Amino acid sequence: MDNSTSKSDKNMEDLTEKSGKKVDYFALKEQQESKFNSKGSAVSEAEAEAMKKAKKIKDKPKFTVKEFKRQWVLIVIGVVYVIYGIIFNYLPLIGWIMAFQNFKFAKGIFKSQFVGLKKFQFLFSDNNFLMVIRNTFAMGVLNLVFSTVVAIAFAILLNEVRNKYFKKSIQTISYMPHFLSWIIVVAIVHDAVSNTGIINEILLKLHIVDSPYNFLAEPNWFWPLVTLSHLWKETGWNAIIYLAAITSIDPCLYESAAIDGAGRFQKMRYVTLPSLRPTIIILLIMNMGNVLNAGFELQYLLGNDVVRSVSRTIDIYVLDWALDGRNMDYSLGTAAGIFKTVVSLTLIVMANYVAKKKGDERLF
Amino acid sequence: MAETEVTLNRPLKKRKKKMATEDVIFYIFNTIFLLLFALVTLYPILNTLAYSFNEGNDAVRGGIHFLPRKFATKNYETVFAKESIWIALRITILRTILGTLTSLFANALLSYILSRKKFLFKSSLSLFWIITMYASGGLIPTMVLFRYLHLTSSFWVYVIPGMVSAFNVMVMRTYMGGIPESLEESAMLEGAGYMTVFAKIISPLCKPVYATIALFVAVYHWNAWFDAMLYNRMDPQYTTLQYELMKLLDNVSTATSGQVSAQQAAQTGGASVTVTPMTVRAAATIATMAPIIALYPFLQRYFVTGLTIGGVKE
Amino acid sequence: MKTKKLVSLALASMMAVSALAGCNSTGTPETTAGGKDTEATTAAPGGDETTAEVTTEATKEYADDEIIDMTMFAAMAGKEKNANNEIKEIIAKKTGVRVQESWLTGQEAGEAIGSIIASGKLPDLIDGGDGSVQLYESGLLVPWDDYLEKYPNLKEMYSEEDWNKFRMDDGKIYWANVFGNIYGEDKTTGQNGEAFWVQIRVLEDAGYPKIETLDDFFKLLEDYAAKNPEMPDGTPVIPYTALCEDWKYFCVENAPMFLDGYPNDGCVIVNVDDPSNPKVVDYNTTPTAKMYFQKLNEEFNKGAMDPEFATQTYDEYIAKLSTGRVLALCDQYWDFAYSIMGPFAQVLEAKDGSKYRLDEMGCEYVPIGLKAPGVSSQAYYGGPELNASSGCAVTTSCKDPDAAFRFLSQLLDQDIHDLRYWGIKDVDYCVDENGLYYRTPEQRENWKSDEYKAAHSCEYSYCPQWLGTSKDGINAMQPQEQVSEFQLGMSEPMKKCFAAYGAETYIDFLGSRDYKPQNPWYPLWSWSNSIGADTDYGTVWKKMAEVKHTWLPKVIMSKDFENDWTAYQEAYNGVNPQVFLDAAQAEVNRRIEAYGVK
Repeated sequence: MDNSTSKSDKNMEDLTEKSGKKVDYFALKEQQESKFNSKGSAVSEAEAEAMKKAKKIKDKPKFTVKEFKRQWVLIVIGVVYVIYGIIFNYLPLIGWIMAFQNFKFAKGIFKSQFVGLKKFQFLFSDNNFLMVIRNTFAMGVLNLVFSTVVAIAFAILLNEVRNKYFKKSIQTISYMPHFLSWIIVVAIVHDAVSNTGIINEILLKLHIVDSPYNFLAEPNWFWPLVTLSHLWKETGWNAIIYLAAITSIDPCLYESAAIDGAGRFQKMRYVTLPSLRPTIIILLIMNMGNVLNAGFELQYLLGNDVVRSVSRTIDIYVLDWALDGRNMDYSLGTAAGIFKTVVSLTLIVMANYVAKKKGDERLF
Repeated sequence: MAETEVTLNRPLKKRKKKMATEDVIFYIFNTIFLLLFALVTLYPILNTLAYSFNEGNDAVRGGIHFLPRKFATKNYETVFAKESIWIALRITILRTILGTLTSLFANALLSYILSRKKFLFKSSLSLFWIITMYASGGLIPTMVLFRYLHLTSSFWVYVIPGMVSAFNVMVMRTYMGGIPESLEESAMLEGAGYMTVFAKIISPLCKPVYATIALFVAVYHWNAWFDAMLYNRMDPQYTTLQYELMKLLDNVSTATSGQVSAQQAAQTGGASVTVTPMTVRAAATIATMAPIIALYPFLQRYFVTGLTIGGVKE
Repeated sequence: MKTKKLVSLALASMMAVSALAGCNSTGTPETTAGGKDTEATTAAPGGDETTAEVTTEATKEYADDEIIDMTMFAAMAGKEKNANNEIKEIIAKKTGVRVQESWLTGQEAGEAIGSIIASGKLPDLIDGGDGSVQLYESGLLVPWDDYLEKYPNLKEMYSEEDWNKFRMDDGKIYWANVFGNIYGEDKTTGQNGEAFWVQIRVLEDAGYPKIETLDDFFKLLEDYAAKNPEMPDGTPVIPYTALCEDWKYFCVENAPMFLDGYPNDGCVIVNVDDPSNPKVVDYNTTPTAKMYFQKLNEEFNKGAMDPEFATQTYDEYIAKLSTGRVLALCDQYWDFAYSIMGPFAQVLEAKDGSKYRLDEMGCEYVPIGLKAPGVSSQAYYGGPELNASSGCAVTTSCKDPDAAFRFLSQLLDQDIHDLRYWGIKDVDYCVDENGLYYRTPEQRENWKSDEYKAAHSCEYSYCPQWLGTSKDGINAMQPQEQVSEFQLGMSEPMKKCFAAYGAETYIDFLGSRDYKPQNPWYPLWSWSNSIGADTDYGTVWKKMAEVKHTWLPKVIMSKDFENDWTAYQEAYNGVNPQVFLDAAQAEVNRRIEAYGVK
């Protein structure tokens, strides 16, 4: 145990000497890995590096009969999951055929008339569709960045609270808005930013504006409002994962950091954040694939005709066009769905590649 | 081992007593900040609560913030007067319990095999599931499939199809990946199989992440209504709580192209077009929120307890 | 189960007793209180009568095990009935069919019908709304044709000519629209369609003038607002507002059609200057359209038009109207009126501490039929509209279609029709010595309560029904059309206003009840509502709407109207609306061809 402490000591010294976030993180990662792997023996950085490489080679699974035999349990379980996945997740993908058809219920998936890429052509020949892609992307990215940063910050700050009851109460309160429907949240947001709402009242009192400012009629304000609404509703909820991850951090790391004289912020920076890194990376990569799913309900409810050019998302657009009185145009909806899937998968493959290059935790 | 813990903790506690000025300032600011944050997030809840206890016709005029203006319990009576709500409650509780248990197990087991570093199909199986997060066949093919699997008009449609969630699996896998391999290795040397390791070694250490995922899944089941509507539309015995509330709330006519027959509106007594009072909406929200929020403190202790990985290093 | 039924029957007759007591003891509909207190003492004499009635009915009742349970789905929003709804049970005993209705929730009609088809689990009865054609194309509906001959009640609903409008391309009838179908004399009291609505206090203040043009209308509002800038509680009045939310923007968008004196064809004006050659005209580009939007723009810049009109949600719009602050608006009646009745009856506190009620101070609205200058007559009230594009249908999943049609037919029997809309005699309504139905205030309150209706009333509101005059020749088929009932519900200022204009009903404000004879294509929106985006003109139609959504608020809020109007018209013409207009013209011609020239 003492050894471990002195090792951490050493690392800590290294850390304080080095500057620049990147290096620090890496060093810390090393530190953590060595914590798990080297079982307390003091190792220099070079040694750790060598060990890591060795470990990688050792971990590389070999497709040998012996290995198959050894892990047959895992393989059997895996097969069960593959069968389940094929039935419930992959079989419905047959429906993608609809994107290339003029799907009619009377004829069904296999007999509807094929129209080739007509539905895709329709989407991409409309300037409005390009506009809604932009909107969706922008709101998706804003959301991803801010909700991640704010949730992590909140989790870390909450973790610093010493009083157990205060901590528990704040945490419970923070995640409550998650259970409100967007209808209610939007009603409150509307109420707050309306001409007679609290925000305008404050602005008027502080003489920042002379007459009430109609935020909802201002296209530039729409994206920030969406992001803020999201933060308000979901920060506490999003923080739950990070809070769970924080609990898994080895207290020894804080101990040793403290012994090395690391202050509060240094501990956050050199212990907490790096320990959260795998979780953050995994969630970031996964959510990257969701930027095109930036939403329907919130934008639909918060938007209006004045801010139409920035408020409409892919989902709103598709619903608008796919619902044509007579029929639901499933073909168009499916085409848009395929487009989103392709973009999403491309994004996560890219993100995953970057993570892999950087030696981080990765998705696959 | 206990010894080490003690020696470790002691100096920390001592340090705690003489807090640096920097720390004091930090605590004050942190507390103020979190209080403000809590206030801001609490507001919509209090506002909803105030509306839920306000008389409906009075509330239409708006302007209610923290307290009801005209107190009434009528809204809750309206919500609970609905007969079907009790059947729905039973189904919802059942699916939440059953759904959470099965889903937790299914996700945990998959995460377990995916987090085994030597598993031959680790990457390919991960990718197989990750794709499911972003690719969906859509409503109609799914409905047709379920029809052939006899999952429509059945309770099991709530439990079986959504058992594995790739998102939850990835979160769990990441967590499990952080557990030292040495534990597994030593157990296996002692003759334990993969399943024993999963049950006896890994799972106990995964309490925080299990609690997190259980919460996610439970909340999902508690709030689910779309599946009830799609697959059990004509089977009121399988209705769910949120579906009943949706039916209560969502009666704004959804005409798409801008023309509703005026006669139709009048002849259905305006029923198809009048919005359910926002007060009833609020009461329904509070009524469904309360039980699931009450679940959290029970799970919370797993977050606070956390892991003491340090202890197992010896 | 048996006992439960018995109990509910007993309960029903007990309620009959108490309410009957209410009628007897009070005698006239005007008296309110008292009924409740005296119910125990006066119950006996009336009670016998009711029980006697129940037993005579009982002879032709279906037994419990003979009653067939059916399901019905209507792709519309609606309120569910409780499982053991009282009137539903009575109707079940009389008809042998009990129908459990379910409604659209959180989906669009087309979407819902699609998923029902895919799930393979159809209800016995269905109103597919916008998704009806999907059901037909999938071959899931039972044709009405044979049953029409068998059940004259159903046949009676429409003339041969009108039934033909329902025929699909295979020549058969698959559904019947149940709304707007008038039996005997038209009894319509309300203007359910679109109109410019103004608070009666504004008219009263100006001495009940005759308002015909937009200019007069806004001058009236401005003058009133200048004189009375505040409500008693100190909040400022809003002279005029409009709603732009999503599809409900039609109140802003289609007013030029009405201003030009045309009925609600929805998508276009059909000009009949030359009766032999009706011509489709786009109301978005007429001089009237420009005049109207220019006026709104002018009022917006003057501050007379609600600055938040373009950003408010429907909820906010209703909230605003509920405060009585809005002096006037343009909307369809059902879109706002039902929601504000409750708040208008609230007792409020003024700034000075005195109490007031909005309906008593004249905040209720009456319709005004504004016209563009030079237009001779208006057509805000267009008479009943037959929308043949959807309706009540029986599906192939129904095990006993004959029973279903028999049931639909029996629903039109006068006694059952009365049960559906008026309720149980002496419980839900009383009959005076002349045979006129009326409701006591208590009964009227009951029928406003959702809980009461869920447990007690059973309208089967998407099944065949009548409007107009009851077969007894005295009453209205449905209570909301009973003129005596309508007038009883009016507030004092309303009565004064009606008297000043010599009006009996809302329709009278819009001129005569004798609406223009309907043209065979009317209403054309039953076509434009169901055109698909998979056609050229359907795509254009959607794009036209998109341009209007984007530009209309901009134009109204513009600082430079002329410029923005030109830009709007350019964008509008950019989507080539002529393609749509040609299709509309073709449809008008087709309908003339198919439904006969008038």
